Amino acid sequence: MNAENVIEVKNVKKKFKVYFDKGSSLKEKILFQNRNRYEDRFVLRGINFNVKKGEAIGLLGKNGCGKSTTLKLLSRIMYPSEGTINIKGRVSSLLELGAGFHPDMSGRENIYTNASIFGLTRKEIDKRMDDIIKFSELEEFLDNPVRTYSSGMYMRLAFSVAINVNADVLLIDEILAVGDVSFQTKCFEKLKEIKAKGTTIIIVSHSMGQIEQICDRAIWIEDGLIKEEGVPKFVGQHYLVEMEGKRLEKIEEEFQEKLDEQNINDEKENIMSIKNVRNARIQSFCSSRAVRTGNGLVNFINVKLYNKEGKETIVFKSGEEITVKMNFRSNLEGIKSNFAVSFSRDDGLYCYGTSIYKELDYLVDIDKTEEVTMRILNNGLLQGKYLLNVGIYAEDDIEYDVIWNVSEIQIMSERVDEYGVCRLEHYWQVDELKLVNSIEVTSIGE
Amino acid sequence: MLKRIQEIYSYREMIVSLVRKDLRGRYKGSVLGFLWTFINPLFQIIIYTMVFSVIMKSGIDRFYLYLIVGLIPWIFFSSSVNGGAVSIINQQDIVKKIYFPREVLPISYVTSSFVNMLFCFVIIFAVLFVTGVGINPLAILCLPLVMCVEYILALGIALISAALTVYFRDLEHILGIVTMAWMYLTPIMYSVDMVPKNIIPIFNLNPLTPVIIAYRDILYYKRIPHLDTLFQATVFGIVILLIGSITFSHLQKNFVEEL
Repeated sequence: MNAENVIEVKNVKKKFKVYFDKGSSLKEKILFQNRNRYEDRFVLRGINFNVKKGEAIGLLGKNGCGKSTTLKLLSRIMYPSEGTINIKGRVSSLLELGAGFHPDMSGRENIYTNASIFGLTRKEIDKRMDDIIKFSELEEFLDNPVRTYSSGMYMRLAFSVAINVNADVLLIDEILAVGDVSFQTKCFEKLKEIKAKGTTIIIVSHSMGQIEQICDRAIWIEDGLIKEEGVPKFVGQHYLVEMEGKRLEKIEEEFQEKLDEQNINDEKENIMSIKNVRNARIQSFCSSRAVRTGNGLVNFINVKLYNKEGKETIVFKSGEEITVKMNFRSNLEGIKSNFAVSFSRDDGLYCYGTSIYKELDYLVDIDKTEEVTMRILNNGLLQGKYLLNVGIYAEDDIEYDVIWNVSEIQIMSERVDEYGVCRLEHYWQVDELKLVNSIEVTSIGE
Repeated sequence: MLKRIQEIYSYREMIVSLVRKDLRGRYKGSVLGFLWTFINPLFQIIIYTMVFSVIMKSGIDRFYLYLIVGLIPWIFFSSSVNGGAVSIINQQDIVKKIYFPREVLPISYVTSSFVNMLFCFVIIFAVLFVTGVGINPLAILCLPLVMCVEYILALGIALISAALTVYFRDLEHILGIVTMAWMYLTPIMYSVDMVPKNIIPIFNLNPLTPVIIAYRDILYYKRIPHLDTLFQATVFGIVILLIGSITFSHLQKNFVEEL
């Protein structure tokens, strides 16, 4: 073992037997022997990493990728099927808080029980008692039975014990969501303090923020293998972008399926509802969240979104071209209308809206027009979910037809380093140097 | 092996607090509370005494005393085996989430049963003094040794049954039957002299027989047990503990997957 490493994980594999229908009693074992068939499933398929003393590592990955299994192997709750794990010093795992708490015993007694499960001797517990009590902020309740505690107090007591076990290696699984905000902050500060003292920490968390703040290195595990290892910020970004990409792919797929269905329905609808468009207020081109108002003198019959290649979609990249095409039908002759398009964010924040009349002082002659199109050349929206609203108004702002949330659109971005509503086109300048993409540096004069 | 023992020793506080929790938690909420520790064996003794000295006369002088010195150690042993068997399963929540030497669980269960037996010895000494039988101080000195041997024996069997029960849940119920048979195969309510000569060799294979004989020598006959008996009991105890701990450490690696 290399001298400066505290943890060495070498080619660790872990397989589980997955029983098709497991019976563990004698009758089941004998009578239903064929039920004892199982298949081996590899959760970890060869993982290697080393951790130096005082380093903090964050494990990332989607559910079922093997990160919790890794943690269990490190804590020796389970043993690897192949490969070796070497750890120097005392390991403490915060996989479960409040282990062994007895509801009828007082807080103080439970501190002893709980701390003893982490392998502390009585002397060591006595030494830490004050710190534990102080950290939990439960001084007045300490001699009451734990069953009288609120769940927040319970967790606070449990966390205080766990965090005060001075281990050489600390393993933490998704437990930083304890208590109220101020207690969480306190736990976090304590973790930083422990780390500064030279404790090696391994955290599994879905909160990138936590990992970025405390970890020196992130390891991204996917399908039982290490996919990427490095600076938390970058690994985290790649991870998030891929996760988001997968999610959007799925949404896109569902949308395309719906589109196919819709095309068939539309044909039927066109035949059936030519006379009475008003009745079919929420039509198939609208999203399920759509709300429609207006007097119906003019009606939308289709609103569609296209990308730069002219393909119909609802997933766009930040900065990509978006085309909104609107078709409509009039129930009266000789109407001139104003068309409005706006975007709101998923949480209701109004992002941008404009109309053809207000912007250009132009009214569309409905009888002579088939389609009104708005082309957004460079959408400045940041990553997230947005809702499209469209409206047809008379010159005096009377609503003919307004559809809120006609489409839900997803904006994805390769960068997650921008915050707010939209991207403002900009560049940075340092003295005479113009910085572009933080890599290229060009002189302003050139 | 040595490393393992060291590790278990470093978790001694966990054993202590589990024992304390078990003893205090056992009768929590019941009206008579800790008194149940005494009432339960007391009634068993009264019932057996009625049966064997009134109905089926065994012809043993002061049968109640004869019985009590064997029955109380037996209760410790059988509860260690039966309770020890489920000690891992009943604590599976901790086992799945936290690392500690798994031996701690059966050890603390057996220890808490042992402490219970020590309390029950109060009954034995009370009976000894009230009836005027008294004690032989020299013989009493051997008592801790015999208790230690029984503890080792009970722990060895509890380790085996705890580990096996994880893989094979029926064992919990099978053990109930086994201990019942075991009780009648151990000279608790009768003396070894009553056993037919031809089955004595098989009878002597019962590791608990020398232990019970030793208890009876010390407390009932007020004499120092034969060295033979003590030696036999100690060898049995150590062998079974070794088998138990090897089996356990071998099987414990897959506990979490089996639970």
